[in-house]
Amino acid sequence: MMQTNLIPSLDPNPLPAPYWLFKLLLIVTFFLHIIAMNFMLGGGVLALVAKWRAKNPASGNRMFFDLARKLPSLLPATITLGIAPLLFVQVLYGQFFYTSSILMAWPWFLVLVMLTVAYYGFYYVSFRAGEKPGKAGGVMLCSVVLVTLIGFFFSNNITLSQTPSRWAAKYFANPSGWNLNLSEPTLFPRYLHFFTAAIAVGGIFVVFMALANWKRDKEYAGQLLQFGGKTFMYATMAQFVVGVIFLVSLPRDLRMLFMGDNPLATTLLLVGITGAMAAIFLMSGALRTGNIRVAAVYVPAILAVVILCMSVMRDILRDAYLRPYFRPEQFAVTTQWAVLPLFLALFVGGVILWLVMMRRYGLLGGKKGNEPPKAQMASTD
Amino acid sequence: MNYPVWDVAFGAGLLIAIVAITHVFVSHFAVGGGLFLVLTEQKARRANDAALLAWLKAHTKFFVLVTVVFGAISGVGIWFTIGLISPTATSNLIHTYVWGWAIEWVFFFIEITAALLYLYGWDKLDACLHQWYGWIYFIAAYLSLVIINGIITFMLTSGAWTKNHQFWSGFFNPTYFPSLAFRTAISLALAGIYALITASVQKDAALKARIVRWSALWTVPALAVLPLLGRWYIHKIPADVWASARGPMPTGTEYAMLAVVLLIVAFVLALLTLVRPARMHLAFSLLVALMAFGAMGSFEFVREAIRKPFVISNYLYANSFYSTQIPGDGGFSVDEVNAAGVLPSAKWVNERDLTATNQVAVGHEIFRVECESCHTVNAYRGLRHYIELRQWDQNKINAMLGGLAFMHNNVMPPFAGTDAERGALAAYLNSIEPVSAEAAAAATDGETVFDQNCSMCHRVNASDSLFKNLATDPAAAADSLKDLTTLFPLMPDLKLTDRQRAALVEWINKQRSAKEFSSTAQGGN
Repeated sequence: MMQTNLIPSLDPNPLPAPYWLFKLLLIVTFFLHIIAMNFMLGGGVLALVAKWRAKNPASGNRMFFDLARKLPSLLPATITLGIAPLLFVQVLYGQFFYTSSILMAWPWFLVLVMLTVAYYGFYYVSFRAGEKPGKAGGVMLCSVVLVTLIGFFFSNNITLSQTPSRWAAKYFANPSGWNLNLSEPTLFPRYLHFFTAAIAVGGIFVVFMALANWKRDKEYAGQLLQFGGKTFMYATMAQFVVGVIFLVSLPRDLRMLFMGDNPLATTLLLVGITGAMAAIFLMSGALRTGNIRVAAVYVPAILAVVILCMSVMRDILRDAYLRPYFRPEQFAVTTQWAVLPLFLALFVGGVILWLVMMRRYGLLGGKKGNEPPKAQMASTD
Repeated sequence: MNYPVWDVAFGAGLLIAIVAITHVFVSHFAVGGGLFLVLTEQKARRANDAALLAWLKAHTKFFVLVTVVFGAISGVGIWFTIGLISPTATSNLIHTYVWGWAIEWVFFFIEITAALLYLYGWDKLDACLHQWYGWIYFIAAYLSLVIINGIITFMLTSGAWTKNHQFWSGFFNPTYFPSLAFRTAISLALAGIYALITASVQKDAALKARIVRWSALWTVPALAVLPLLGRWYIHKIPADVWASARGPMPTGTEYAMLAVVLLIVAFVLALLTLVRPARMHLAFSLLVALMAFGAMGSFEFVREAIRKPFVISNYLYANSFYSTQIPGDGGFSVDEVNAAGVLPSAKWVNERDLTATNQVAVGHEIFRVECESCHTVNAYRGLRHYIELRQWDQNKINAMLGGLAFMHNNVMPPFAGTDAERGALAAYLNSIEPVSAEAAAAATDGETVFDQNCSMCHRVNASDSLFKNLATDPAAAADSLKDLTTLFPLMPDLKLTDRQRAALVEWINKQRSAKEFSSTAQGGN
C-alpha cells in the first residue's frame, strides 16, 4: 500500500524556534489545559451527582449551585488554556493533526457548536443560583453530556492522528468528513482513562471548595471535603483498572515502552502509580481526621506531579506511534530572534499581571474584600 | 494534493464565510465594547448616575455572554475551520506566525480573565480597582487585534515577505495600518450599536435617552470616518490585487458597493435614533445591528474576493498550490505539477493511472484536489450551473480549463497538470452536466456566442483587446478567430462554427459602431 506516501509533506517554512522549545511549551500548556478541563468536566459531573445523590436535598442543591457557579469560569479557562497546546501541536504535528481532523471534519467542526451550547447552558444554570433549581439540573446534564462528547471527539482525533495506517480506508470510503476512529482498540480505554481522571481531579476541586469554606461554614466544608475526597479516592482506585486496560490495549511494542523498554517512560509510569497510591493513602487519612491541609495542599501537590508525569508519558506514546513517519530532525530550524524574545517577555509579564489581577481580586490567596465573594473565578483558594 | 480535501456538499468557502463573518461581528464588539464599558463607567461614576451604572452592569453581562462565549469560541472556530479547509495555508501561517499567535494568546488569556473579573467585580470591587480591570481588558483586547491584524493583512498583501521571509516584513505589510485603523473604527461603531440593543429594553425613558445619545457619540463619528479609512485601505492595496475586483466578474466591487450602501443605511439609522431616543424600540436597534452586520460581512467578502486567486498573496493559491516553485514546497507548485502530473504528485488520490476507461473517476479526483476548495458541483459556486448557462461541451470545457488563470480578471489559479489530466477533468465536468457538441454549437446570435465563449475574459469595452484588435473586415475577422492560439498563445483553443464566428464578428462590429461605445462601458456576462 501507499500509506506512508499519504503523510503530507511539511510546508517550506522552517520551525521558528528549536524543536525542544515547542515541545516544552506543548507539554506545559497541555498540562495546564488538562487540569482546567478536569476541574470543569469533573466539577460538572460532581455537581449533578451532588444534586441527585445527596441524602439531604438542601445541601445537595447548595453543592450543585456552588459548583455550577464556577463552571462559566472553568470552561473558558479550559478553552483558553487549550488554545496554546492546539497551536503548538500544529507547529510540530500539523501533518498528522490536520489530516485526522479533515477525516473527521464534521464531528470536529461540531465541537464548536456543542461547546457554545454547553457554555450557554453553564451560564444558564449559574444565573439560577439562589433560586429554585427548576430546569437547572436538566440543563446542566445537557451541558455535561456535550462536553463529555467533545472529549470523546478529541480522543478520536488524537488517536486517528497517530495511526496514519487507518487514514486511506476512511478517506476514500467517505471524503465528506463523517468519520470517527471507533475501530481503534485503544480509543475507549484511552477516553475512559481521561474521563476517570477528570472525575478524580474534579473531586480535588471540591476539596478546594471545602478549603475556601473552611473558616466560614465548617459543617458544609466538612461535607464538601468528604464528598470531594471520597470521589477522588474511588475514581483514582478505578483508574488503576482503567489504566491497566488502556496499557493492555496498546500495541505490544508501545506497551513495552512503559514496562522496561524505555527507561524514562517506565520511570514516569512508576512515579505516577506510586504518586497516585500515596495520594489515595494521604486522602484517606485526611478524611478520617478531617485534615483539610493534607487534603487540599499535599494531595493536590502530589497529584500535580502525577498529572505532569502522565502528560509526558502521553507525549512519549505519541512519538512512539509516529516513529515510522515522524522525526524531530525533519525540521529545518530558523529561530525568529526578532520576535521570540518579545513573546517570552510578554509571556512572563502576562503571567505576573494575571497573578496580580487574581490576587487583587481576592483569589489565589490574595486579600479578600469585606464580604465573601458572590462568585469566583476558577481558584485554588 | 498534500492533504485530503473535506468534501463539503454546500461549499467549503461558504462555511468559512459563515464562521468568519459571525466571528468578526462579535470580536470587533469585544474590542470596542471594552473601551465603551470603562468610559461609560467613568462617565456614570463622575455624574453619580446610579441608573446608568445599573444598566452598565447588566450590559456587562450581555457583553460577556456575547464576546467571551460566542466571540471566543467562534474565534477558535475560524482556526478549526481554516485547518479543515486550507490545511496547507494554515500550516504555512502557523510556521511563519506561531509567535504572533502565541503573543495573541497571552493577550487573550489576560483579556478573558479581566472580562470575568470585571463582570463579577461589579458587586465586589471598589470603583477604582473595577475600572482598572476594565482598562486591562480593553488594552489586552485591542492588542490582540493589533496582532491578528498583522496576520490577516499579510494574507492579502504579503509585502516583502515573499522575498525575505522575515516575520516583521510580512506583519507590517502595506495594508497593516489602514486595516488596523479601519477595524478600530468598526470596533468603536459596534460598541455603540450593541449598546443600543440593551438600551432599547430599558423601561426608564430618561435613562434610555441618555444611553442612546451616548451610543450615538460612538457610532456616528466612527461610521462617518469609515469611508475615508476605506479609501486609504484601498489606496494601499496594490493595483494588480484590486484589479481582480473589476472586470467581467466584479465580485469585489459589488460587495464593496453593498458595504457602502449598508454603511450609509446604518449611519442614517444611527442618526435616526437621536430623533426620539427615549422611544427607541428593540426592533430598531436590531435593524441597525443587522445593517452593520451586512456592511461588515460585505467588507470581509471584498477582502476575500480581491485576495483571489491567492490565499496568501503571491505565494499560495486558494487551492493550496504554490504559485512559484520554492525549495521545500513538496512538488506542489503549479510548474512542478504541470511537469509531473497531478496523479503522481498528489498524496490523496485513489486513482494513480489514467486510462481510457477511468477518465471521469480521475477527473473527479482532480476536481476535488484542484477545484473543491472554492467550488461545489451543485451548490456554492456550483459548476453544473455555470456549464449549463454557457452550454460548454467537453471539448470547450477542456479548452477553457487551459485559460483559467485569465478568466474573470485572474481570480482563479491556473489549471495544474498534464494535458491528459485536463482532459479527464473536462470529462468529469461534462459528466455532471452533459452538454453535447451540437448544443454547444447551437447558439447563433452574436451576443449569445460572446456570452458563452468570450465573456469570461473579455469585456464589451473599447479598450478590451478583442474589441480593439479584431479586424473590422468581417471575413478577415471571422477568419482570424479560427485558431485563437495564433492570436495569443495563452488563449483557450476554442473552435466555433463558421456561422458562430460570422455572427460574433457581426455583433462585435455592431458594438464598436455604436455611439456610446467607449472605454467606460460595462462588461458582459
